[in-house]
This record gives sequence, C-alpha cells and structure tokens, in this order.
Amino acid sequence: MHPALQGLITIIIGVGGCVGYFYFSNFVLDRFLFPAKGPQAGRNINRANMVRPWLFLFPAIFALGLYLAYPVIETLRLSLTDRNLGGAFVGLENYRQMVGEPKFWEAMRNNMLWLIVVPAASTAFGLMAAQLTDRIKWGSIAKSLIFMPMAISFVGASVIFKLVYDTRPAGQEQIGVLNAVWLAFDGGVWSFVVLRLLPAVLLAAFAVLMLYVIYLALVPLLRRNTAHSGGSRLTALVRVIVAAGAAWLGFLASRSILPVLTVALPYGEPQTWLTIPFWNNFFLMVVLVWIQTGFAMVILSAALRGIPEETIEAAVIDGANPFDIFFRIKVPQIMGTIVVVWTTITLVVLKVFDIVFAMTNGQWETQVLANYMYDKLFRANDWGVGSASAIVIMLLVLPILVWNVYNARKEMR
Amino acid sequence: MKKTVMAGFAAALLTSAAGSASAEQLTVFGPWLGPDQSYVEAVLEAFAEKSGHDVRYVGSDSFEQQIVVDLEAGSAPNVAAFPQPGLASDMAKRGFLAPLGEDVADWLRENYAAGESWVNLGTYVGPDGDSALYGFPFKIDVKSLVWFVPENFEDAGYEVPETMEELKALTEQIVADGGTPWCIGLGSGAATGWPATDWVEEMMLRTASPEDYDRWVTNEMKFTDPVVINAIEEFGWFARNDDFVAGGAGAVASTDFRDSPKGLFTSPPQCYMHRQASFIPAFFPEGTMMGDDADFFYFPAYEGKDLGKPVLGAGTTWVITNESDAAHELIAFLQTTEAHEIWMGLKGFLTPYKAVNPEAFSDPTLRKMNDILLQATTFRFDGSDLMPGGVGAGSFWTGMVDYAGGKSAEEVADAIQKSWESLK
Repeated sequence: MHPALQGLITIIIGVGGCVGYFYFSNFVLDRFLFPAKGPQAGRNINRANMVRPWLFLFPAIFALGLYLAYPVIETLRLSLTDRNLGGAFVGLENYRQMVGEPKFWEAMRNNMLWLIVVPAASTAFGLMAAQLTDRIKWGSIAKSLIFMPMAISFVGASVIFKLVYDTRPAGQEQIGVLNAVWLAFDGGVWSFVVLRLLPAVLLAAFAVLMLYVIYLALVPLLRRNTAHSGGSRLTALVRVIVAAGAAWLGFLASRSILPVLTVALPYGEPQTWLTIPFWNNFFLMVVLVWIQTGFAMVILSAALRGIPEETIEAAVIDGANPFDIFFRIKVPQIMGTIVVVWTTITLVVLKVFDIVFAMTNGQWETQVLANYMYDKLFRANDWGVGSASAIVIMLLVLPILVWNVYNARKEMR
Repeated sequence: MKKTVMAGFAAALLTSAAGSASAEQLTVFGPWLGPDQSYVEAVLEAFAEKSGHDVRYVGSDSFEQQIVVDLEAGSAPNVAAFPQPGLASDMAKRGFLAPLGEDVADWLRENYAAGESWVNLGTYVGPDGDSALYGFPFKIDVKSLVWFVPENFEDAGYEVPETMEELKALTEQIVADGGTPWCIGLGSGAATGWPATDWVEEMMLRTASPEDYDRWVTNEMKFTDPVVINAIEEFGWFARNDDFVAGGAGAVASTDFRDSPKGLFTSPPQCYMHRQASFIPAFFPEGTMMGDDADFFYFPAYEGKDLGKPVLGAGTTWVITNESDAAHELIAFLQTTEAHEIWMGLKGFLTPYKAVNPEAFSDPTLRKMNDILLQATTFRFDGSDLMPGGVGAGSFWTGMVDYAGGKSAEEVADAIQKSWESLK
C-alpha cells in the first residue's frame, strides 16, 4: 500500500476512533449503565455525571501512564540493575560507574555550556529582533525570515550547518562558507580587527555584562540588610550563587582577553572547525540558537505589543532616551514572558541530541548528556548506565519544569 | 444470515491456517536499503520460489540499534543479517540466536576459501557458555586493495609491487623521482578516523599472527602491547612522512576519505596510490573506466614474514533470530551456488565460496577482487567492528586522528586502552 494512503487511513481510524470512543462510551453510560428514566432516574443522572469526567479523562490518563509513567519507572528499575548479571539488583553501581567516566563529565560540562549560552543568546537575539522589527516597514518580512528556521528539523539544520563548516584540503576550492571567509583573512589589518580585536571586545563586553549581573543580583540584598525580613533566605542564597557564578564567568572572560589578542592563528589554512576542541561546542550551539531565536522573537514580540502605551508615553514625556525606555520600561514589564521563553529554551537545550548526533556524534569533546545516553544504550549496549544517564537528564529537567509550570500558573492568575 | 457469515469466516480462517502449515512466513531483517535492497530481495525471491515460503525483507539504516530493540522486545525477525559480528556475538551470549549446527560449520570449512577463518568468525559463545556456529557469512567486502592509475604507472615505469618490501621501495622510489606516492584521507564527518583503523588492522595482519590479531580485537592483547604499537607505527611510516602523502602529513586527518582518491586522477598526479576498500570507485571522477583509467592490486604482505596472504574485509553475517524450519531452509539455500550467483550478477557482492562460477560476476573488476578473496590464506574481519562500540566506533577513531596529528603511538594506544577498560 502506498504510504500516503496508509497515512490517510491512519488519520481516519485515529480521528474516527476518538470520536467513536467519546460518542459510544457516553451512549453506553446514558442508555445502559445509568439510564435517566425509570424509578431511579434522579440517582442515575447524578451517578452518570460523576462517572463522565473519568470517561473523558481515561484516554489521556491511560496514554500518559503507558507512554510516560511506565517508561520512567522502568528506566529507574533498569538503572538499578545489571543485565550482564541477569538483571540482578546492583543498587547505585551503574551511577558509580557513570560518574567514574571522563566522557560523562565531558557531557556534563558541555551541557552546562549549552545551558548558559543557548537560552541566553536565543532570548537576547529574539528580544532584539522583536524590538527592532516592530519599528521598521519591512519588519514582518524580517520576522518571517528569522522565524523560518523554526520550520526546519534539527537534523536538517545540522546538515545545513555541516556544509557551512565543511573543509576541503588546501588547494581545492572550499565549499564551506566559514572556510572560504577564513581563507580570505591572510594577515593584515582586517584579520587583526575581525579575528583578534572583535573577540577581545566581545569578551570585555561579556565581562562587563557579568559585573552588571552581579550588581543586579546583590543590590536587593544590600538594601534589605537594613530592613531584615524573614522568609527570603532562599532567594538570598540563589542571588549569592548567581552572583558568584557571574563573577567566575566574568573572571574567565577577562582573563582570556590578552591571550585572544596575542594568539597565533593559522592564517590561510582551511580549518576543520568541528574538530577544534572546546570551540566546536560553540559551532554546534549556533545551530540551536539559529533555530530558537525565531521562537523567542515571536513570543517576546507579542509581549512587547501588550505593553500599555501610556507607560511609554509617560516615560517619553519625562525625557527618557530609547535605551531607558527599552531597559527600564519595556523589559521589566515583560520580565515574566522573558523568563518563560528562557526556561522553555532551557528545556529544549537539556534534551539536545539531534544536532550533536548529526554533526559530530560527540567526538572531539562535544559529547552532551542525551547523546551520551544514546551511546550507552545503543552502541555500548549498556542499559544500566544508559538508563542512569536518562535519569540524570530527567532530574536536571525536573526543577526547571516545575518552576516553569509554577510561573505559568502565576501568570494566569 | 449471521450464521452463514460466521461459518464463512471460520472456513476462511481454517484454509489460511492450513495454507501456512506448508508455506511459512519468513521475515528477514538487514541493513540494506535503496538499490542494495532490490539485490537482496532478488536472492530471497529465488528462495521463496523454490521453497514456497512467504519471504519478507525489511531494511533499516539503523540496523544495529533496531535489532537490539527488536530482540529485547521479543519481536525478532526470523533471520537477521548483521554487519557487525561483534554485536551478533553479544546477542548470542544473551541467548537470542539459534545455533546453525555442526554440518553448516563443516560446509563452511570445506567450501569457503580460508574456511577456518569463516567458521571462527561465525562461532560465538552461547548463553550456556559453550561456543557454537551461529553466524553464516554471506556477502563479503574486501579491504586489502591499493588503487592506482595504470597510465601513471606506465609513464613513470613503475611495476605493481608483489611484496610489502617492494611496496615500501616503490614508495621511496616515487619520492626520489619527485612524485608523491600516497593519498590518505581520514575525514568522514562524525566517523572521522575510521580509514586509519583499517590501515592499522592491515598492518596487524602483516606484522603479527592471525591469533595475535584475534587476541587484539578481544583486548586479551592490550592496545599498549608492543605488537600493536608496532602496527600503528607501520601505518605511521606511510602517513606521517610529509614526502609520502599528498598535502603533507598534516592533511591526512583533515582530508575527507571521499575526496582523497581524486588525487590519483589529477594531472600531474597528486599521488600514485590509494589504499581503500572495494566500495571506493563510487567516489572516483565520473566516467572513470575500471581497468583502463583505474585499477587495483592486493595490498601485499611482507615477504620476510611468513604470514601468508592475509586479507582484511567486512561483510554481513546471517543469523537465525527466531527459529523456524523456514529459517534453517534459508541458511541451507545460502549454501547453494545459485544464491551467490544471483547477487554476483548484480552489484557489490563478493564471496569466498570456491564452487561458484566466476563468470557470473556482472563486472570484471568484481571478479578480480573476488580472486583476491579466494586466494587468501587468512581472512580477518574489520577489527574495529569486532571491538566494543565505544572503542571500535569511538576512541580508536579519535586516537588515530590524534596519531595522524602528531601524538606518539604509545600515548594514543594508552588512551584507547584506558577507554576500553572503562567500558567494563
């Protein structure tokens, strides 16, 4: 049978089945189980109405149980057993083995890098795009261009970017854009400006940004010191941790400004971008940022439009400049949406698999947790460690998920 | 009315059940898709006609993952064609495979060239700890080939070398004449490094005994053993000398394996020789006439070492994953010349079966490759495919890239050995 025909039949059976289920289950309930007639009609109607919600919920609960709850429990069980010993219970042995592997820590490190860079970059670019495209005539065209990558699958995007990073031996024509550009820099002023000065400035800007983050995180604490209020110990702790993390990142950034300025770069030689340790992680992240920026832009653009004009007008009358309006009026008002976008992208990042799988397969120190799990499950056939790493991913996702739901419900209230 | 319908339904059920008693349904699962799928289907079609069974082939591009899931889930096909014997051996240990029987082993011994090698390849340890023949090797690829352009050899007056000593002398001769002897490329996207593992395996077979090779792929002999280090350095003799490789040693790791043979065909030639498996002509420039524009010779063995004519290769091993009479009949059918000759008449098929008619090959190049296979004294399967995935498709690849990039053989071997130990 032709696949298209099969698909069509599946759709008909699926939709028909759903409609049929609700129709017939109601029919059976009302006609046979608790008919609304006879001597006990009143009691029957009440009972039927008590059963009905469960009838409607049953498919969803059943599917969730079958496809979510059962796998989670089974994964947990597998992560505590060793198949080579006939499925014997081994406690945390699999976790111990996993923690002892350098590849696991490499995956953890890379995941943390992804978590810091991708949501931040996507949200920042999305916010920028949303703000800028609202003001120009061809904004909607620009928006659709930025949104378009959302329609491409992760693997498709990876293939596109693999071509961008493609390398041909020296002497042959480079088909990879990045190498073609790289080869154009053969020393001289512009290669200094673009390859040394620009990264150094970026690093310096990042360090300054981190200082600002520290300031933002600590200011409420310093102010609160005067008026001691209980119950905010946890937020205080989170703020201190954020500040410490920002300080560390800022220190790292400022420390590497000088090396970036003086590094000896192999000009004129085609580079195999995806094999350069550490930096290749960023080449992979670009793909996800490219995809997710559209998502962030669409949501944030809607939020920006929802800001009441009056506050902005009032700011203009008070003499605020555009930067003040953006950072002090608009951004605080859409902070809730920014957080939602940020956390949603964070969840995507924690599960990132396709991009790494399709581009480097975790080689050259680009391993991430999801790909590590796939590696263990299907290449090494070690279901114990594979399940253990799946549980680790789940534990990492869980708090963000809970927080996200909590925030979303707060928004709705 | 209702009764007649029910009766008719029951009758239909009965007849279909009766029909399947003589003609079983047989499912075959393999890694072939696209044109290759039609080739394997041609072979299975012949079997279906002969036996009357209903034979269905399913192919997957992620065979290795899918088969494990299928076997664990209890929805195994009847017969599966494993491209990785290492994985098949794992499955045998867990009791998912049915042994083929001693007479099939005897048949392989008698009818396949280097028969004992093939029996060893298909013999795994079962769930009870006893080893038995589980795998039937069918459809083989040969790797020990050196590709060259006959015209370039004629112009320069070079002879095809018969021994490794001659090959090394020829390499030095070409440099002395101002040329570059080799094109080597290890690039292959996420799998970068695998062509170098083939080189090291070839060198293992040419500097150590087949038994050492077997101990090496099971890690009984460690990667840090001097025998293995020596094999890595033998590869380094060719690949780490700037004069020997097109683009210099630095280009080896970054050149894509699909691009590197193109150097043979430039004018003047960027290189004279290229070692690669039987599939590589697909990446030769369009319109290359095999035999005229490009040819190959056997990657020779050392004359000074008494190791015969080893051949490195790969291929599929057919195993029974869900036992039935029809499955055993299919394995028996694979022992007929007919099964081999059908695929020989198509494409991409080599066989060590001595009784087949070489005229059945559709293509004289394949016939010549098959000769190499038939004359082999030992055959060994691609070692990286026999090693655990984390090594054979992981640290061994990256290690070879590091080695080509200038790290020492000891350092690289140490890293690979460590990763192997961490798997246990």
